[in-house]
Amino acid sequence: MRRSLQRVAIVVLLLVAVSMLTFVAMNVLGDPLFNILGPIAGDTENPESIAKIEAAEAQYYLDKPLPERYVRWLGDFVQGDMGVRFGSDGQPPVTGLIKERLPRSLVLMGMAQVMALAIAIPWGISSAAGSLGGVDAGPRSLRFLVPFSLKAVAVIYFALSLFGSTIGVVVLIWFVALLVAHQLAETVPAARALVDVVKKVMSGFSSALSFGFISMPNFALAVLLYYVFALKQGWFPLRYDASDGFFTRMWQLFLPALTLALPGAAVYQRLLRTDLITTLQEDFILMARAKGVSKRRVLFRHALRPSMFSVITVFGINAGALVGGALVVETFFGIPGIGTAVVEAILREDFPVVLAIVMIVATGFVVLNFLVDLLYSVLDPRVRS
Amino acid sequence: MSQDVSTGGVIEAIEPEGAQAGVVKKTLGLGFWLAVGWIVLIALLALLAPVLPLKDPNANFIDIQGKGRPPYGPSGDHWLGSDQDARDMLSRTIYGARVSLVVGFSAVAFGFAIGGTIGLVSGFVRGMFDKITSFIMLVLLSFPALILAILITSLMERSLLTIALTLGILSVAPVGRLARSASLVFSEREFVLAARTMGAKPSHIMLRELLPNVLIPMSALALLGTAVAIVAEGGLAFLGLSVEKGSTWGKLILTGAQTRQLEEAPWIAFVPITALFLTVMALNFAGDRLRDYFDVRELAL
Repeated sequence: MRRSLQRVAIVVLLLVAVSMLTFVAMNVLGDPLFNILGPIAGDTENPESIAKIEAAEAQYYLDKPLPERYVRWLGDFVQGDMGVRFGSDGQPPVTGLIKERLPRSLVLMGMAQVMALAIAIPWGISSAAGSLGGVDAGPRSLRFLVPFSLKAVAVIYFALSLFGSTIGVVVLIWFVALLVAHQLAETVPAARALVDVVKKVMSGFSSALSFGFISMPNFALAVLLYYVFALKQGWFPLRYDASDGFFTRMWQLFLPALTLALPGAAVYQRLLRTDLITTLQEDFILMARAKGVSKRRVLFRHALRPSMFSVITVFGINAGALVGGALVVETFFGIPGIGTAVVEAILREDFPVVLAIVMIVATGFVVLNFLVDLLYSVLDPRVRS
Repeated sequence: MSQDVSTGGVIEAIEPEGAQAGVVKKTLGLGFWLAVGWIVLIALLALLAPVLPLKDPNANFIDIQGKGRPPYGPSGDHWLGSDQDARDMLSRTIYGARVSLVVGFSAVAFGFAIGGTIGLVSGFVRGMFDKITSFIMLVLLSFPALILAILITSLMERSLLTIALTLGILSVAPVGRLARSASLVFSEREFVLAARTMGAKPSHIMLRELLPNVLIPMSALALLGTAVAIVAEGGLAFLGLSVEKGSTWGKLILTGAQTRQLEEAPWIAFVPITALFLTVMALNFAGDRLRDYFDVRELAL
């Protein structure tokens, strides 16, 4: 109890420090009055402009000292009022802008995280499956892989053939070849060497692929995916249109979300693979196998849950990276979310908007990581003490 | 946050005993040297660009002999094609490397000089100084890095120096955190105790005993950090917020990434993307191998 109170106190202190830093930086390095009024701000001769300056100073509390302004802002912020935007009319208020933009970005980032996990968990499990089963791990682990991947392939192939793509044919040929190699290894012992080579190639390919995704900067990945799947293949729409229907908009978000998801998926896959390999050496796995539990059940039901720690930790940390990625991806794909809002606001020096978004993002990040901490004990009872 | 502490414990808890027993001899491997070779090659090309027989990156090579309007595809004249203003992509990419690499390396150097020093000292002296610096690092880490970067770059004029400095500030906290944890570990070791017993001054212990040991795990971080800084500069450039003068990889990609450019002349975007990708991958790979080689666990997060 005392420990969690202490943690909450640290979180609050942290957020206050972040807001103070941002607030001071923007007020000292920038010129708020000029950002509000434009060139009139420097005109102290004309009585009309002086009246405008005084009105603006009163409206935005610019005549008050910095600490007082900060306290006023903080008081308003805590009550959900994020202030008035800089600019001639100040419309819409910051809260309204955030309410309009935030859901889109949340959907985008949520989609990205779900996609990342949906890719990483099967990928991680299949790349760690080889280490289950001890000495005779050779063709047997492939037996697990084949029916598992055949089902996936049937779905993928069906989806791809809908688009009349040659990729589908290539994928199908690859898996048929894999199945044949596997059958040969079962009947002709000499073909096991071949299967081992195939397995080595596949695991090499898998680790090279995950390394590639990790090393691909998100803006470059965005350009690549856009070029291949939107421009060349024409599977996805070129622009996001906020006036479209719900399902059309979700489809438009698919490619941006995939851009954000792939590097995360690669990181999760690597972590999951390492943790799974460690877990699979534990006694309770051996016990389950000895009782005759099938490999798939052992992997999905027994080993997966205690192997999720690193993934869950990085899931929280990755949320921060996603915000950075969302800036770039939203700008590139033309999605009006908070990423584009903050870029626009920074370029126009619209400080209240920037401050609000920085605070929302920092709060979200800190709270998410707090929740991740709580999740550990749900995942593994051993941590609860 | 305290997630570091809890995972640290968890990872230790599920680590099987004697996991290292099977490892007999570790080598860096061929891939590591290939990666280092690529980094050296790019660095040399960037460094020697004015001396090399390259085409002027800013000259327009409009071809009157009937190839029509630019952009031109790859040919004997322009090995990697030309952009929409008929400028040579090969030399533009090599010149672009100059800014990208300088920003990457100097940002990391800054992060190491400031963050490394703070981390080393706070891990050694602990107490109040450690508490305060750790909190400052936490504040820095809870900013989304790219937002902080565009905040700083938008408030200052965008010269090579400010961009490198901004990314340098961003790398202070991660570098400092690792330096602190490494310094904490090594401060407990016998040789530090021995030096203390012999009456060595704290400054001597930090410079002569701790620094060489802390630098080993940090060398991997230097490579990984350079990759991150190069990508961050590219991200800034992609948002139109990088160095105003001169070309960088990010700016080249941005010009090539317009829908019309991509349709007509995809190489304008994909030549710098390939260069950037290979460089980042080489840095990541070399850093990864070094990390495995020195067996530094906490770097993984």
